[in-house]
Amino acid sequence: MKVTENTTYRMLQTNLDRITNRLEDLRIQGSTGIKLNNPSDDPASIRPVLTTRTQLRTTERYLETMGVSLDKMQATDGHLEHVENILQRAKEIGINAINEANNVQDLGVLADEVSFLKEELLDSANGMVDGKFIFAGYQENTVPFVENTAYSDAAYDPADSTTWPIFYQGDGHPTQLEITPGEYMEVNLTGNELFMGINNTAVQAGGPTDVTAYSSDPGGTDVFSALQRLEDAIRSGNVNDPALAGGGIEQGLDNIDIAADQNRRLRSQLGNRARRVESAMTNQENVSNDLEQILSRYQDADAIETFNEIIKQETAFQAALNITAKVSDISILNYL
Amino acid sequence: MGGGLSSALNAAKTSLEVNQKSIEIVGNNISNVNTEGYSRQSAELSTYPAVNFGDFFIGQGVKVANVKRDHDVFVTNQLRDKVVEYGLFDGQTRSLSELERVFNITEENIATDVDRFFDSWQELSASPSDLVLRDIVIQRGELLSTNFNNTANDLLTVQENINDSIVSKLEEVNSQIEEIASLNQSIFNIEIRGQMANSARDKRDMLANDLASSLGAESYENLDGMLSVNLPGGLPLVQGIQPMSIEANTSGASLNLELHAGSVVRPLNENLLGGEFAGLIDMRDNFIPALQEDLDRLAYEISSQVNFHHASGYGLDGSTGLSFFSGPTAVSTTPPAPVPADYANAARSMSVVLADSNQVAAATATPVAPGDNRNALTISNIGETYLVDGIDDFNSYYGKMTSRVGIRANQNQLNLEGSQDAVNQLENLRDGLTGVSLEEEMIDLIVYQRGFESSAKFLSTVDEMMQTLLTVKR
Repeated sequence: MKVTENTTYRMLQTNLDRITNRLEDLRIQGSTGIKLNNPSDDPASIRPVLTTRTQLRTTERYLETMGVSLDKMQATDGHLEHVENILQRAKEIGINAINEANNVQDLGVLADEVSFLKEELLDSANGMVDGKFIFAGYQENTVPFVENTAYSDAAYDPADSTTWPIFYQGDGHPTQLEITPGEYMEVNLTGNELFMGINNTAVQAGGPTDVTAYSSDPGGTDVFSALQRLEDAIRSGNVNDPALAGGGIEQGLDNIDIAADQNRRLRSQLGNRARRVESAMTNQENVSNDLEQILSRYQDADAIETFNEIIKQETAFQAALNITAKVSDISILNYL
Repeated sequence: MGGGLSSALNAAKTSLEVNQKSIEIVGNNISNVNTEGYSRQSAELSTYPAVNFGDFFIGQGVKVANVKRDHDVFVTNQLRDKVVEYGLFDGQTRSLSELERVFNITEENIATDVDRFFDSWQELSASPSDLVLRDIVIQRGELLSTNFNNTANDLLTVQENINDSIVSKLEEVNSQIEEIASLNQSIFNIEIRGQMANSARDKRDMLANDLASSLGAESYENLDGMLSVNLPGGLPLVQGIQPMSIEANTSGASLNLELHAGSVVRPLNENLLGGEFAGLIDMRDNFIPALQEDLDRLAYEISSQVNFHHASGYGLDGSTGLSFFSGPTAVSTTPPAPVPADYANAARSMSVVLADSNQVAAATATPVAPGDNRNALTISNIGETYLVDGIDDFNSYYGKMTSRVGIRANQNQLNLEGSQDAVNQLENLRDGLTGVSLEEEMIDLIVYQRGFESSAKFLSTVDEMMQTLLTVKR
């Protein structure tokens, strides 16, 4: 058994090839910062990486959706605050109308003011975000509240919405968005619930709202009727006779209180949901950070380790090159 | 003693000739130090028959009885076995690296497009009447389909590349087969006269190695010195001086190999082949079709699930029952698990058939309210909730395919390195036994040079002796 030149050079060549290949891999890792460049680099981490990327993307989507939800909720809350102020003012006017010695003209002025408040309320109820009506349920392109031109005080029946001063044209579907996996959140309020005290289930079950007769839920009331009736009562100076116009200012004031309660109740509900969204956002941001970390563990190269390894391989490469150069120095030819 | 001196002259002559011949052989060895497959040759020396001289046998000099090559059957055969393995893994390497590119794991792959598609439905759910978002849903669907189309085409291209390399290698293989047959002939012709056909044998050994690497061919030497070459399945490639040939039979897009042995034609599959060809054909006929089937399945499952939910919803214009993707027609009940015939070619033909963004069915109820986002939410969740075979969601299904490519490529890389090591070691072993070492040749050179010098000295001594004799009488 002898060592021939071919053997030596073949061995050197193989080793040099191997080291340069390894160096190439390491340099790719070092320059991209990623150790998972090809499926064969680590077949076991492919599925976790793909799943984690999917989760990251959905998390980003949830965060965006929650951002949209919060916007809608804030806009809604602004309108609700306005409704609160309107009802407050209506109550002040009502009390004023009872207590002071008002003549017919004075009462007329007060009644007109209530009428303006009603208009203002109508504007709020038809409020828009992004060009869409926010209190119309799914019917976001339809004006949700329109005046009942045939309204008459005499025909008014609290148990029949077709006799109320304002008709609702939206539907009973609040917008639901998915804010975390599997968790759906109602991000707005429907007009029927907020302004008429009719629950969504009843409206969803019924047909078009301006022809179907609804009544408000127990403890709820139609805010527009409350204002309209108060206006009528003030205008006719009816302080407390339920049988006369507007059913009396005192009863009207009670109704305004109920309406304000209804508004506050829904507003606090919405506030709670907004808080839930905010905490879910924080949570999803944490989740997103965790996922980034997981992803990084699977696919990112450890910079220090990579550079150490590169230096190690470069040293080995240099040694191999040195030896290769030395091989030709020693030859029997030099001694003959 | 006069006859003694002239026979001594003769002996010196043979010695001069033999040493000179030996130096020539050393020179030839040195010249071929880098020739692939060259086996070191050496002169086999023997004495001339001695002549009976009275009571003595006196030698009559030396002759070159034979020029033989160093050869080790055991190492040669082992090397040939290992080369088959190396060829097998080497044949798969290129297709596997192409497949690794097709099923890449960068940020842009089918899994990303699946995510983006369902994400666009989620985005639409926040604003279901937005026509721009509806357009985006359709575009994402188109991008997803295009990616499926491209991947399916890429797989076809890999298969076509395999066919191309098979065809381009066939010519070389056939000429090697013919060359072995003609070398058999010439080796037989030379060796029947008692000489060794060294370089022809070297050449033949090398060709047999090449065929082992490309076809997994087995070879053994017959008593008459001819090399028989077989395919691993036992079909003959060379019998005596008779070469067979391997031909490609192309019908349409498929390419089949056939062995033409005289007038007999035998079809070859990967079980009858070895080495590089077996590797290539295994990739082409087994590994890639399995990937294709899975890809088709994935495309089909996505299309049928999306179509099913899409058809049960309503577009802005009140349309319902419409398919979103081409292929599986929307059904009214939950789509059953498909059978392979259902999803054949699904990936390559996948496309979005819904053209009008008003028809994107985001709503669940009619008459359609523009804010109704319930169906969009349902569809956006298919990516997470629907499980192929009840096990994998779409992305892990894709992940599984990609891992399969990764595992195979990884294994192949290891195997290739391993068999390359083995081949290298055996080549070193063979070189150690039969290769040319310059040191050895140099020393031989000195030996024969000294031999030549001594013979010359001997010759001049005999000459002087003759001169002395001639001066005895003046």
